[in-house]
Amino acid sequence: MHLSRKCFQFAAAVLLGTAAVSAQEAAPAAAAPHNVGSDACAACHDAITTPFAKNPHHALETDKRRGHAGFACESCHGPGSKHADSLAAIDIVNPGKLNADEQNKLCLSCHRNEMTHIGRIAGGHASDGGPGCVGCHSIHGTDHRPMVVHAIADQNKLCASCHPSIWAEFQKPYKHRLAEGAMSCVGCHNPHGSGTETQRVAFANEPACVNCHGAMRGPFTFEHAPVRQEGCLACHVPHGSANPKMLTRHEVRFVCLECHANLPAAQATQGQLGGVPPSFHDMRSPRYQNCTVCHVKVHGSYVDHTFLR
Amino acid sequence: MRHLLIVPFFIGMAVAQDQPAPAPAAPPTDQSATPAAASSTPDQTAAPAADSVISGSIELGYRFVSGPYGNQDVYRSTVNLGQGPRLVSFDFTVKPVKKLFDHFELQANSWGGDPYNSARLDVDKTGLYRLTADYRNTAYFNFLPSFADPTISSGILLTQSSFDTHIRTSDVQLDLLPGRWISPYLAWSRDSWFGGGTTIFVQSRNNYPVANSVSDSTDNFRGGVQVSLPKVHVVLEQGGTTFRDDQGVTGNGLNTGDLTSPYLGQQLNLTSLDELYRVRGDSLYTKVLIAANPLTWLNVSGQFLYADPSLTTHYNAAATGTLFLPETFAFYNSGTDLITADANMPHSSGSFTAEARPLKKLRIVEYWNTDRLHNAASSLLTEQYISTGSPFLGSDAATDRLVLNYNEQQIEIFYDLLPHLTVRGGERYEWGDATVRPSDLSGLAMESGTLSRNTGLAGASFRFREKVRASADFEASSGGEEYFRTSLHNYWKLRTRAQWDFLPAWRLAGNFFELHNENPDPLVNLNFVSRATTASLSWLPNSGRNVSVLLEYTRSNVNSNILYLDPGTLGTALSAYLENGNSATALIDLAPRAMHGFAPRVSFGGSLFTSAGSRPTEYYQPMARLSIPLAKGVQWNSEWRWYSLSESIYAFENFRSNQVLVSLRYTR
Repeated sequence: MHLSRKCFQFAAAVLLGTAAVSAQEAAPAAAAPHNVGSDACAACHDAITTPFAKNPHHALETDKRRGHAGFACESCHGPGSKHADSLAAIDIVNPGKLNADEQNKLCLSCHRNEMTHIGRIAGGHASDGGPGCVGCHSIHGTDHRPMVVHAIADQNKLCASCHPSIWAEFQKPYKHRLAEGAMSCVGCHNPHGSGTETQRVAFANEPACVNCHGAMRGPFTFEHAPVRQEGCLACHVPHGSANPKMLTRHEVRFVCLECHANLPAAQATQGQLGGVPPSFHDMRSPRYQNCTVCHVKVHGSYVDHTFLR
Repeated sequence: MRHLLIVPFFIGMAVAQDQPAPAPAAPPTDQSATPAAASSTPDQTAAPAADSVISGSIELGYRFVSGPYGNQDVYRSTVNLGQGPRLVSFDFTVKPVKKLFDHFELQANSWGGDPYNSARLDVDKTGLYRLTADYRNTAYFNFLPSFADPTISSGILLTQSSFDTHIRTSDVQLDLLPGRWISPYLAWSRDSWFGGGTTIFVQSRNNYPVANSVSDSTDNFRGGVQVSLPKVHVVLEQGGTTFRDDQGVTGNGLNTGDLTSPYLGQQLNLTSLDELYRVRGDSLYTKVLIAANPLTWLNVSGQFLYADPSLTTHYNAAATGTLFLPETFAFYNSGTDLITADANMPHSSGSFTAEARPLKKLRIVEYWNTDRLHNAASSLLTEQYISTGSPFLGSDAATDRLVLNYNEQQIEIFYDLLPHLTVRGGERYEWGDATVRPSDLSGLAMESGTLSRNTGLAGASFRFREKVRASADFEASSGGEEYFRTSLHNYWKLRTRAQWDFLPAWRLAGNFFELHNENPDPLVNLNFVSRATTASLSWLPNSGRNVSVLLEYTRSNVNSNILYLDPGTLGTALSAYLENGNSATALIDLAPRAMHGFAPRVSFGGSLFTSAGSRPTEYYQPMARLSIPLAKGVQWNSEWRWYSLSESIYAFENFRSNQVLVSLRYTR
């Protein structure tokens, strides 16, 4: 009984749909939708338009130079005359229901070249397959200038909702303190993208790490080359690790010896940078198993090429 | 600083008293909102802001800590939450004041003794200015007893690399005429690291743990202008950085160091030490960014940056004791080292991106990047050692150099194969060269290496009616030339994401990541695998207002094998690392409808991490939270947390702690 009723409903819907399509084909072309103005929108949607007066996008409503004065709503939602007549949701563009690419295209028609607080919109989430601008930004309901959550903890939750495996790394014992609200994902990453890299860069194209760890910025009199060549991630796991100091290995000597294991060569061809330490480093003795206990300035030294001081 | 934050709040409150009775403010942001809730469709029915002059909330409480039991140093190195009164959070917004600002917002979190304090200020007047300031003070404590040394009983290498420090960062930026076609900006940023700790004074044949004081800071000043024209956007920025480092190392009293047996018949020791660094540096940099839409189907952008940082170092060390000098193969009782050094590192980088849409379904993105860095440094050491015989005077001049040239070119082609399916493919080529200082054993002045790596790129993204979304990214390289034995060589990397809103308010998501890297060189024999699989389920009926459930589980695996040379024997040894990890997070939030004005809210869940392999670890962080409104705008919160670290090999690092935070939150 229940099944047959559903079948009947389905058949009726198909028939009605077919009829509707036929009617549309038969009818003369309808007039093109046109703008009706934001006042018309406010008549029904005052719960949105009232707080929108404090929204940065409200500048569209008042600034004639932007080309949308008086119809800010329709600058994103498209001409509203048809919707105003029918009151049907299907007759108006709802950017929140567009797919990510269409959303981005809509937003980037104005914002493509724009600087953001942490970078320039250049890809990343705004590229194919991303969450779409409204995945993070609230277009109507806040007067926060970037229209995105401000509190560090809320920002992290926002990112974690799409990156749960990254968030899981912060549940390890040795990690950056994101779960505690001390840091934010966007402190190190640029969600708007920057070329092929997701990492945010510091002022003079340095890695974001030196924004907090300024003592590693250099230039050092004696540089540790991998820090410049492969960056902090050559030895550290930035999100979280089961190993102290967020190292890539459980014992520090392996972090060092995996690279410092080449016999000297004048021309490195395949991973030959990093010579073997002198032979007095007896790895059987605990004295030599903690390389950075003696080589305290392993990130680079001002005075000693062996990083002992 | 903490007092300064509280004062404006109470001033604001006092001002507010003179105003007509305000309407109740919107409820505060739910701190326990789930990630999925945060990402849900933006609230399109937000209520108008309250009419009060000042609105916001303040939460004051007290944290009770039981323990920590076990290793307190490890507890402080990982959790570091202490007992005492706390300003849990604080935020307020001031109603627009004509001619001054349209929006004034101040937020602060975790003040009053917690290890992570933060504050944020955001003030603006539309079209005239925007001022943002951000401050963070993070306790940076590290006193890990093992520091990767499982043989605790064999040596005294327990506390020789530790610190009890703070990192403070501040950022202030003033944008003028935001949103206008020309918008200047000024900014200042500062980071500093200060505190104490323990480090090693390394002297020939022996190492001495000594007290260390850390004190460095970096200030960055920058100003620029943004020019926004219809088809071109340009940013010109000029910045400068100053840096200082005044680290000091001191030791007083008899210190026998790590070497407990006599050396050449004498017991080495250190009786006093003063080691001082005075490092000063500065840098000027120029940055130019440009983005343009010269044609409707073409976007181009580029960046150029030039920086020239330099540092000057003055270092002196004075040590007394019974010490050994290998140059003279003799003992000495007093020695001084003076070092002056200079380093500069011109650094230029440039990038260019072009995005073309020649056809409706086709998009081509070309990216090019170059980065050139050249560090040149010199140092002069003057040393004097005095023993019972004649003094030894010596000097040594050294130079050093590091040259890096990195280039990258990438092209990707996107094609909308179906209305819901986009595929992409491309190629990336990285090349460069490096000149670095070689190991002492080589006898060479410099050592050079080259980088040459071709990588194939592919991907696809699929979306269907916003209910199903999936994407996959793949890249692979068959090996070329790279700098290090552990670098990416013959590798492939796959990342997939999928999410399915299978019922209203229900979402099932899965992520997968795998990286394989191999280097078959018989002297390297690298075999590296990293894999992570995540499944998550969320249920947010009615946008999570009354009930929200978030469950996540991640299975991760890292397996690395690589050969290395034992320095003592030059024999081949195997470095094997294995980590099989399980991580789970749960957060359940229940806020039943109010009955007789009583509307409690309960949250519980937490996270766990367990791993097996080279460093088996169990780390648990369960929590439960209860919030009960006591009166209009007043809410009582209580939160219980449990921290427990358990390691089977490094069992002396284990700790556990119970904590209860009780607080009152006042909102208006």
